[in-house]
Amino acid sequence: MITKVKKYISQLPFARIAYRPMFSTLLRQKYAMTVLILQIALTLAVISNGLFIASQRLDILQRTSGIDENNTFVLTSSGFTENFDPKTSMQTDLAEFRQMPTIIDAVATYSFPFSGSSEWDDLRPLLGNEQNSVPASSYKLDEHGINALGLSLIAGENFSPSEVLWQTESNKTIPNVVIITTSVAEGLFHTQDWSSLVGKTIFINEAHSAIIKGIVLQLQAPWDPVGQIENSIIYPRVVTRNSARYLIRTKPAMLQSTIAEVERHLGMSNQQRMIRKVQTIQTLRKEVYGPDIAAITILLVVITTLSIIAAMGIGGITSFNVLQRHKQIGIRRALGANKIDILSQFFAENIMQTSAGIFIGCIFAVGLNMFLVAQYALPKLPFIYIIFAALCLYVLGILATLKPALRAMNVSPAEATRSQ
Amino acid sequence: MLQYYFKLSLKNISRQKGLSVLISTTLGLGIAACMITYSLIHLMSKDPLPNKSERVFHIQFDNWQLGLAAIAPDLPPDEVTWRDAMNIVHAKQAKYQAANAITWGMVTPADKNIPPFLGIIRATHGEFFPMFKVPFLYGQGWQNFPANNVEYVTVLSKSTNKRIFGGLNSVGQTLPMLGKLFTVVGVLDDWHPSPKFFDMSFGAFYQPEDIYLPLQIKSELELPHGGNLNCWETNIADDYQAILNSECVNLNLWVELPSAQNKQQYENFLKAYVEQQKALGRFPKAINNQLLDINQWLAHKEVVSADMYVFFYLALLFLLVCLFNAASLMSTKFTAKNSEVALRRALGANQQSIFAQCLTETSILGGLGALIGLVLCIFGLQGITYLYPNFSAFVSLDMTLMLITVCISLVSSILAGLIPIIKVCRLAPASYLK
Repeated sequence: MITKVKKYISQLPFARIAYRPMFSTLLRQKYAMTVLILQIALTLAVISNGLFIASQRLDILQRTSGIDENNTFVLTSSGFTENFDPKTSMQTDLAEFRQMPTIIDAVATYSFPFSGSSEWDDLRPLLGNEQNSVPASSYKLDEHGINALGLSLIAGENFSPSEVLWQTESNKTIPNVVIITTSVAEGLFHTQDWSSLVGKTIFINEAHSAIIKGIVLQLQAPWDPVGQIENSIIYPRVVTRNSARYLIRTKPAMLQSTIAEVERHLGMSNQQRMIRKVQTIQTLRKEVYGPDIAAITILLVVITTLSIIAAMGIGGITSFNVLQRHKQIGIRRALGANKIDILSQFFAENIMQTSAGIFIGCIFAVGLNMFLVAQYALPKLPFIYIIFAALCLYVLGILATLKPALRAMNVSPAEATRSQ
Repeated sequence: MLQYYFKLSLKNISRQKGLSVLISTTLGLGIAACMITYSLIHLMSKDPLPNKSERVFHIQFDNWQLGLAAIAPDLPPDEVTWRDAMNIVHAKQAKYQAANAITWGMVTPADKNIPPFLGIIRATHGEFFPMFKVPFLYGQGWQNFPANNVEYVTVLSKSTNKRIFGGLNSVGQTLPMLGKLFTVVGVLDDWHPSPKFFDMSFGAFYQPEDIYLPLQIKSELELPHGGNLNCWETNIADDYQAILNSECVNLNLWVELPSAQNKQQYENFLKAYVEQQKALGRFPKAINNQLLDINQWLAHKEVVSADMYVFFYLALLFLLVCLFNAASLMSTKFTAKNSEVALRRALGANQQSIFAQCLTETSILGGLGALIGLVLCIFGLQGITYLYPNFSAFVSLDMTLMLITVCISLVSSILAGLIPIIKVCRLAPASYLK
């Protein structure tokens, strides 16, 4: 039984390769091999680190903001005459928006995810408790805010119309009820039992107190200077300025037609103001994530080009070897080696080269990552990226070897009798 | 002789067309990758005020609450308060001094054919213009006005002047805006400093403002606080003046000194100022003034993002891979020529002349690589402005960079070819002549 298996194995193409002579052939081409192996090693370092950075950026791009991004747009109405009444204008506009059949809801707000600016407040569960201070970006919305943004309220209740304070810019009275995000709730009270937190009191900027009326699942901050993008607090306030910013959520697939309709309508309804900065959330999102999209694009272009160059290098060397060893291959074929033997010899050579390159490449990859960690505070490279890059290089190497190896396979045994 | 080498090289290259193109393209790709990333870093960190950047200083005071840091770990805020800005500017201890902030308001041209628009405004002291060498098309800026005596004057950007006055010389004309009547005293020429070092609260690269106004107008007309407005006090009253009198920081304060040697003297003045304010009960923290010249300030604000450096290092490795690749291709190229070289040796060519000929050949490939690299660079930079729309104002391929590209390409082709060339020169002709 065992001898049978042994015999079977010895007949497999790879088992019949004479590794020692092959190894010494490779060692004889010292320069070409060194250059090739270094090339593979550097490629591994760049690909693994590049993929890692790109995948981190992709994670950022894929996070949700908590609002209905696909069906929402914003616009600004700026009143410019002296007798322009911002409050009446705002109330009329909002009432008209909310009646339009293609609009789900609308709200007046200067901050929304991707708007790029907001105030940050300091929240605490107890007064004077330094340790439990949680920063939160502040949203000022009326009772339509939750519906207009498309947030999901998972505990407590929405604001009632009577709780909403209509304020001018200089009036900074803080309402006595607030809605917070789950991230803020967990930061303040270290629990995930959301309904138990409704009705609790929190302290804002060490000066005001307010009761938690509701908790929303997610609402990202308009911008994130402190690395706490999920922390937001909603106040039932509407601030009236000559320039009002409206956020409008439409029914699915009605976004573009509604934008046109709203613009036409606003242009006619009040001549004392101008409409500007009509933007969809999608375009704003692209602007905000522009650098990340750019980084991913650049990294992918680099990785692809590099892979092609590495493949060309491997293919070039192999073709050259095939050309050089024409006669040698012919002799081997004449002495009884079959086509598969020749093919597998070239593949085995390639795998040996790639393995050597990958071995050195691991060191390079880790070294490059250590440098980037130290200099630019990048996270540590998980080993899985090196393994993935190594697999890619094996596949690339085999693909690059394929064509020249097939040519070698078809060298006729008669070649042995020809002189060079 | 050189001509002969050249001719021979061209012949060789055209005989091995595929291989030669491959070598040049590989080199070109590597060089383009490096040059694109390098030129981005180079352009982003370019000195915005050559010849005087070392004596123009950004001033910061640490007026923050005891035990709190405005910027971690313990740095003063980037901006200063209204009070400090006014005190320092009116003390006139430097050659030029100006505080500035961004704001906005409705511009309502008298001509009814021009629709009103929301103008983005830079509110600043008048010495802003000479200090930052702002180019004027017509007229000029204004002097720093004394504390309570401000005139309603304005300077327009070139595009605003075109929008309102059709591009004509509008100096002396009046312009209604913000509910008041302003007199135009100057019109700027094209001016788009990148990075926009004097106020980076909206990032390092953003559009120039439409209109420039004296800073005191901001307080008179209670214009909105643009840019960063950072406060640590919690009990600020509701009115506009209360913000101006608070510890809220919003203004970028700049001074120009007669020479860099006056820095010490000016630092002493600032120290004395803070001590005097401490006596009035302000500045609870220890004195922590920061006086950064323009380039230090750009470094402090990390204008060149870490991304750019990461790309640059990856591009360097990319070039290295391309070099190794070109080297192995060259080695193939010259090994294929072994018998030809042997023949030439046998016919009397010495090692030096073989070396020179091969070197000419690699240099030609390098030159070709430089050409491909330059073309790729131009396309690459186009791609960059597409990916980063903000950069379009300053991204371009300049002469120096082009020269560097050509040099790098030649050097790398020679580096890549050197060992194969040496090998081919040293081979014994006899064995190849059989």
